[in-house]
Parts: sequence; C-alpha cells; structure tokens
Amino acid sequence: MEKDIILKVENLNVDFGEERVIEDLSFDLKEKELLVILGPNGAGKSTLLKTLLGLIPYQGQIQWKDSVHIGYVPNEFVIPENLPLNLKEFFQFKKDYPEKIFQALELVGIKASEKNLEKKLYTFSSGQLRRTLIAWAMSDEPDIIFLDEPMLFIDIHGRETIYDSLVKVWEEKNQSIILVSHEIGEVCKKADKILALNKRKLFYGPPEEVITPQNLAKIYGSSISL
Amino acid sequence: MDLQFLYSLIVGVFVGGVAGYLGSLMITKRMALVGDALGHAALPGIALALIYGFNPSWGAIPALFFGILVIWFFEIHTKLPMEALTGIVFTASVAIAFLFLPENEVSNALIGDISKINLFDTVISVILSLIVFLILKKIFSNMILASISEDLARVEHINTKKQNFIYLVCIAIVVALGIKVTGSLLMGALVITPAAAARNMASNLFQYSFGSLIIGAISCVLGILFFKVFSLSAGPFVILSASLIFLISLFFKKR
Repeated sequence: MEKDIILKVENLNVDFGEERVIEDLSFDLKEKELLVILGPNGAGKSTLLKTLLGLIPYQGQIQWKDSVHIGYVPNEFVIPENLPLNLKEFFQFKKDYPEKIFQALELVGIKASEKNLEKKLYTFSSGQLRRTLIAWAMSDEPDIIFLDEPMLFIDIHGRETIYDSLVKVWEEKNQSIILVSHEIGEVCKKADKILALNKRKLFYGPPEEVITPQNLAKIYGSSISL
Repeated sequence: MDLQFLYSLIVGVFVGGVAGYLGSLMITKRMALVGDALGHAALPGIALALIYGFNPSWGAIPALFFGILVIWFFEIHTKLPMEALTGIVFTASVAIAFLFLPENEVSNALIGDISKINLFDTVISVILSLIVFLILKKIFSNMILASISEDLARVEHINTKKQNFIYLVCIAIVVALGIKVTGSLLMGALVITPAAAARNMASNLFQYSFGSLIIGAISCVLGILFFKVFSLSAGPFVILSASLIFLISLFFKKR
C-alpha cells in the first residue's frame, strides 16, 4: 500500500442473502482526503460504510493503514424515551473527557456551557442530536471520520453550520472524511473525490468530472439541475 | 432483633438493590417484562427445590439457564421474535411446574418466603448480588451506548454480543435471587418498579441508576418490616412499597 493511502478497497462484494448489494467495488482514500459518496436510496451507500467499518461480512479486500482510529456518525440512532442521559454523561462515555469535548461541541455550533451539558439528550431536536453525534465522533481526534447522511433532519441554517464545521475540521486537522450524502452542494465542490454508487461504481473522480448534469441523470435516473 | 429477621433484611437490601440497578438497564432496553417472564420460567426449578427442601433460588438458577438456552436455541432456528419465544417458554414452564408442585407450596413458589433464610443463603445472596452489581456497573455505559446505536458501540470496540450474553446471565442470577424475596409471580415488579420510580425523579443517568438501586433496597426493607409487623408474606409488601414509591415519584417527575 502506498505511503499516504489510509484505505484501499479492491473488488469488494457484499451480499444480503441472495441479493448482491455492492458489486465489484474498488477505490482508495488518501490521508486528509474528503470523499463524498453519492447515490439514490438503496444504492448501498450506508452498507458500504458499515462494511468498511467491519460491521458487515464481505468478499474482496479492505486494507487499512496500521492503527487507524475511526470516528463514526451513524444514519440511524435512537435515544430511548425519557432516558435521563445528559450531554455531559454522553461525552463521558469517551475515555478522554473533557479535553477535546468543548472544542468539538463549539465546532458544531453547540455552546459547551454548564447549562447545555446538563440537558437531557431526549429533549434535543433531531438536528441537535445529529450535531451532538458529530461532535462525539470528532472529539477524540480520529484519523478518519465516517458520516452517514449527517444532514438528515437538519434545517438549512444547521446544514450550513455543520458543512462549515466539517470543512473547517477537514482543513485544520489531519483527518480524512468519508461522507455519505444525498446533496450535491458545497461539500461536493470541496471534496477531493466523489464516488457515485448504485450497487456498483458508476463514477469516481474529482467533483468537476463527476458532478455534471449528464452524470447526475445517470446516478439518480432523472435530470437534476445544478 | 432475631437472627432470621436480620438475614432477611440483609438479603432484601442487597437483592433489592441489584434488582433495581438491573431494572434501570432493562427499562432502557425495553425489556421490562422479561424479568416477569423469567420469574415464571424458573417455576419448575422452584417446585423441585420446595419438594426437596432447599432454597428456591438454587433451584431457580438451573431452570432459568435452561429456559434462556431454549429461547436462544429456538430464536436461532425459528427466527421468531424473542418475546414470542419467551412467552412460549414461560407458559410451558408454569404448566410443567404445576404438574408436580405440592398444593401447600404454591403460595411459597408464587409470592416467595424470605422467613426461612439461613446464614449460608444470606452469604451466597450477598456475594452474588455484589458480583452482579460490579459486572453491571462495568458494562452499564457500554449497554446504554449500544441501546442508542449498536453500530456506534461496535465501532467503539464494544463486543455487543458478549456484552448481551453477560447481561442475560446477570438477569438470570438476579431473578433467581429475587424469587426468594418476592416469589416468581412478583419478581418482574422488583426489577421494573424501582427503576420506573427513579426514572421519574432523575436528572441524569447517575441519579437514575443509583436511584433505582436505592429504591429497590428501600422497597425490600419496608416490605420486610411490614411482614414482621403483620406476619403476612413479605413479597407482596415489598412490591406494594415499591409501587407506593412509584406513585410518590409522579409528584417529583422531571422533564
């Protein structure tokens, strides 16, 4: 594996029963790179992330650089109803609390005040929860962060805050990012590479090559204006 | 104070405490009724213990482990939901137990009898309660994280399968110990009610888990004191004490 490559995927296949959900996929990710994975619903984007994380069995090769530390923001999570878990206790699940926590919270637009730290998570809006999980994933400074549709249920202002903070993290720190998204927005333009997926690799390359009206029509099955 | 009563109080404090603490996890994982079902699944073992004159808890433990193994085996081979399989196993267990449970022991089996506890039972109950508490305390935050997102927990290097197995074993031990205090019919309440009361009043996870522990212990002490005064079975008094604390907790409910 080349020196600056953090992840190398070769001939990856994933099956759910008899159905093949990812087919013969190959790509790599270099250190500090931002990779955005695009594709319609059911394209295998979340499955790909989970496979890379070692959560789903696969055939093919997934090679990680030695001792890579991973942060993950899942697509689905549930705060059990009325569970009196507050923000401070949630971050205490991470071993290095509180050194980097306040910085991570501020980065996603949550003020790390005593009052906020004592708020119960189940009282948070979906957007606040998602931002909290992003801060949680970033807080122990992983080498790479996986974000599975982090903008789900977040309002336009919130999206801007998170996109800005993600780009800030990515530019300031030596972290690679793999972002699964439906959106063809600012983050896509900042990305080093775009992987367009629909069970198999449709397009893979720099955004200016992948994000074209013709390609998007092929990815999403209809014409999309930029 | 007579020695028998002292033993009862000691067992009540430790078993009630650990049952409450476990309950705080079980409610979070939406498994509140599993304690109830397992209490019934233990009945064949309790029946054998009562027939041969030893502590029902020691009969309950193998019956519970057998019940859990059967549920686990059928879950793998039938893919039926765990709650349906638990229902099948616990009703079958009740049916089997009533085939040979002597009529004069039915009350003991269903609502417990803490009055016949001896020093050996007390020591074993205390040691097992402490061990289970320490194990649960160690896995507590990991279990909460896994209940938020199992994938997230696995990425954080938490072995969720191993953790769930340990958790099930802890449930089986606590149910077996609690059966001596409340009997199989009321065991579920010893796990659920203190935790539900604590959840109403807690501002954070620490208050919730340790509040559940304290309310569990207090409910047992109150129940055993009532039993001493009124000379009726302790089990119903324990559960009524916990229910009373739950009702009071509604006035202190926090958002």
